[in-house]
Amino acid sequence: MNCRSARRRLSAFLDGDLVPVEARAVIGHLEACSGCREHARDLSAVSEALSQMPRVEPPGSIALAVRDRIEVESRGPGLALLFRSSWRARPLMLPSLIPAALVVVTVLAAALALDGEPAAQGILDGSWGSGLQASGTDANPLQPVAGVRVPRVRGTGRFPAEALTGMAEGTLFLETVVARDGSVLAVNVLDGNTALAAPVLEALRRERFWPGLYNGRPVAVSVYRLISRLDVRPPLT
Amino acid sequence: MASGELALQSGECVAAGVPAERLLVDRCRQGDPEAFSRLVALHEGMVFNLAARLLGDSEEARDLSQEVFLQVYRHLGRFQGRSSLKTWIYRIVVNQCRNRQRWWRRRRVDRASSLEELTSAEEAKASTAACGGPESPFDQACRRERSQRVQAALLALPFHHRTVLVLREVEGLSCEGIASMLELPEGTVKSRLARARDSLRRSLFPELGEGRLP
Repeated sequence: MNCRSARRRLSAFLDGDLVPVEARAVIGHLEACSGCREHARDLSAVSEALSQMPRVEPPGSIALAVRDRIEVESRGPGLALLFRSSWRARPLMLPSLIPAALVVVTVLAAALALDGEPAAQGILDGSWGSGLQASGTDANPLQPVAGVRVPRVRGTGRFPAEALTGMAEGTLFLETVVARDGSVLAVNVLDGNTALAAPVLEALRRERFWPGLYNGRPVAVSVYRLISRLDVRPPLT
Repeated sequence: MASGELALQSGECVAAGVPAERLLVDRCRQGDPEAFSRLVALHEGMVFNLAARLLGDSEEARDLSQEVFLQVYRHLGRFQGRSSLKTWIYRIVVNQCRNRQRWWRRRRVDRASSLEELTSAEEAKASTAACGGPESPFDQACRRERSQRVQAALLALPFHHRTVLVLREVEGLSCEGIASMLELPEGTVKSRLARARDSLRRSLFPELGEGRLP
């Protein structure tokens, strides 16, 4: 047996898959050839390294997360409340084809200057007012619905503006599934151009909520949001 | 007949698990949420580990594990019981990982290291016991680095090579088991395995090229 055919059989040899006559031929070759012996040693070191990789454990209970998602999915179609970006605007109620009875839609609008003028920076870091202020924050409270407390984003509720910088101009319609413990179970894009939206989705996935309550009991809820980015040029002076 | 006896024996080995599993599946099909939570709890570790090793990212793996179990929930009615539940779930994991690969390829390569922080506590204890004493921080760091290198090399392989390699070497399945799970001829599994091992050997031991082959 030459080196080439011995090496071709090494993987099967190490698995104990060769018929005895072939296995003996491989052993014979390995005894004679130090190069192939080294090759075989490396191959078994590869197998050993892989089998010694530690098992990784999920960071939280997947069973609980799945239970919450099934709960949200199995509620059936309901009404969606579209909360607009200004608290003065009344929420619009629209029938939702999306299966969830407890549905909240908030609008996040971001106005970004095209050419990075200093004025644009003000908008981006949120000091420009309610431009990036999500509904459900103190600056923009959600309207109460009997028995329902909608989930609220913890912290400032301000959307990290840098996440929007790469996003294409346009609107994304997103669903965030919020678990009973307030963690985000999934962010699904329902509509819109997802090109370059990965940082936005990433930021939304990291959000933490005060969980939604129904008659005082925490429930898993889908929050629907519209994120728009429109590029505006600063006025000519 | 010898082969018949063998089949009977191996059948008996798993016999303790099968009726319990069937019972659990039946209860899930009847819509018992407790039963389904139990089913998920029984398999979540293995699903997450496989997804994490195939995708190299713990957050992707967590997302994917949820999707896998949602799919299990929706399609449990289709589960025939011809393979074990575990094999059926493994197949869903591999298919979902493959789909995700297409869309999210090389999105977050830099986060591969996040996996090693999720090593289970028992694992750490076991390695402590194996070394005959508490592992020094230096040894810990070495072990972590080694496993990061292996993970990075794995991610550089084409998906179909990575899959057979992880199923064989990390999950410890037989070539025959992998072949029936992936619905491939066993010969294909073996040749992919050989090629995958060789690519991994080349990236982990780069100093030894093919130069020595006469």
